[in-house]
Amino acid sequence: MIFHLDTSTTQPLGVVLLKKRVDASNSNELQKAFAQWLLQASNFVFDCTELDFIDSSGLGAIVSCLRKALEHHGDVKLAALSPKVAMVFELTKAKQLFSVFSSSSEAIQSFRTVSPK
Amino acid sequence: MKTLLVIKKQEYEWLIDLFPGVHPLLVPICNKPFIEFLVDFAILAGSDALRIVSDGVLGDVEHYCENGSRWGVEISYGSMRPGDDISTVIDKNRRFCLDGRVIIISGFLFIRYNKKREYASLFASLPTGELLGCPHGSISLAGTSTTKTEAPGTLPFSLAALDSIGKYYELSMEILRTGLTHYVIPGYSSEEDCYIGRNVIIPKSAEIIKPVIIGNNVQIMTNAIIDRNSVIGSNVIIDRESVISGSIVIGNTYIGEHLEVKNKIAAGNLLIDPESGTVIVMEDPHLLTTMTKSKVAGALLRRLVHTLGATFLILLQLFPWLLLRPILGMQGKWKRKKEQYYAERQGKYVTLTSTTIECTGALSAFAKALSLDRFTLLFKVLSGKLALIGNQPRPLNPAIPLLPNSPAGYRPAVFSYAEAEEWPEIGIDTEIVEHYYAVHSDPLKDIAMTQKALFHRTH
Repeated sequence: MIFHLDTSTTQPLGVVLLKKRVDASNSNELQKAFAQWLLQASNFVFDCTELDFIDSSGLGAIVSCLRKALEHHGDVKLAALSPKVAMVFELTKAKQLFSVFSSSSEAIQSFRTVSPK
Repeated sequence: MKTLLVIKKQEYEWLIDLFPGVHPLLVPICNKPFIEFLVDFAILAGSDALRIVSDGVLGDVEHYCENGSRWGVEISYGSMRPGDDISTVIDKNRRFCLDGRVIIISGFLFIRYNKKREYASLFASLPTGELLGCPHGSISLAGTSTTKTEAPGTLPFSLAALDSIGKYYELSMEILRTGLTHYVIPGYSSEEDCYIGRNVIIPKSAEIIKPVIIGNNVQIMTNAIIDRNSVIGSNVIIDRESVISGSIVIGNTYIGEHLEVKNKIAAGNLLIDPESGTVIVMEDPHLLTTMTKSKVAGALLRRLVHTLGATFLILLQLFPWLLLRPILGMQGKWKRKKEQYYAERQGKYVTLTSTTIECTGALSAFAKALSLDRFTLLFKVLSGKLALIGNQPRPLNPAIPLLPNSPAGYRPAVFSYAEAEEWPEIGIDTEIVEHYYAVHSDPLKDIAMTQKALFHRTH
């Protein structure tokens, strides 16, 4: 996963590019890294363009990231879910928890138009 | 009247990857194998003999249909070359086609019919030649008719090609919504649009909304919802608070808890979106998994590994057991109880002496940490009555019978998978985790799980 800060919005926005898989092998890593990213931003876009696979551990980690972001009055938005990853989100009803966008630029734009809480 | 069924492998092979382990001609449509619809149609049309011809392997189909005595028809099988056209196939099967009229069904087609209509006299009187055709196949008649009549403008049957998962899904939904009374559908139906098989466990909190078809040996857990337009195959577990809506759950599938399967096909560990054709493979104990029974060789290897593991533990525990057992016995902290439990083999039971160590004091805590309460049970592993790790033995109770042909399998053991995973050792949760490992474990994993169970009991 690759993290960078987008400063085009009123508040710094964390953009996380998730790569290949988020599963039991690296979900803890995501959660630990997210705790660090939270020191720099409270709003995040998880760009799933390169995400091929997610399991329940990965899903749990992403939901946990959302929970932590909400605690910091921020949000996590998902972008560019592949059909397979989207199916897992639908199956587990996790899709209802997130705002999902077709591309990361759309997700970033949504943070520009909607003022953060 | 006879029926010749000609289906080429290339017409159905797209189904092989989507429903692994099921022959495409046996793929269930509303819980009834595809081939059975054709057998029913052939019988309705007055056939007393049916020949299935294909260039693919028909072993599983032969095993399922056998000689057709189940339906009161004679079923035989033939082979063909991939390049053979229909006239070549007829020529190769001329002895079958020689006398009387023959209905020739060519292609991987579903025939829409209505069991309440009269087809035998219709087929006896129809002229020879093609009756119905589509790009994927046709129905035609060969042989001379007893009474010469013109083919009616609209025939009381139609064809539906099965060439994609989307078509398969649409067809299943079409039958479920509008055609259930047109076909013989397996299951008990005391009211319209609702068919339920044998050994179906539906708790009071679960909700079933028709039209729905549920197969045999299905466990629907608490607060689960089987919403309208759903087909649940046999040997399926729908875990608690999951919702199945407008979906097909093929047999031997476990749907994890809190899931929403909407307008999908779940087949083993595959989740298919029929609209887009997207398939995801799930190997996740919390989502959906395939349930398969272990092979004989695997079972033998497992038993060997379990025996070796039990021997090792006996040698390890022998000295502490000889030392602590009499002391704790004298202190009244070593309590034993003889009870009968269900054995692995259906209808059998095993008598076990369960030991409880009262954990008040350093010695009894030490004995418990060493799992000395299981010491005597280890000998049952050597005699093959228990496994080293598996299901928690279930006490014999006529009021709560063990499900026959339980999809999860039941292997009573000294240590349970639930203990290893520190799951609650009672209730549905245990069943789920034990089910998962009963299906997915292998002998090496079993050793690792036994170590985990021992470790968790120590702490």
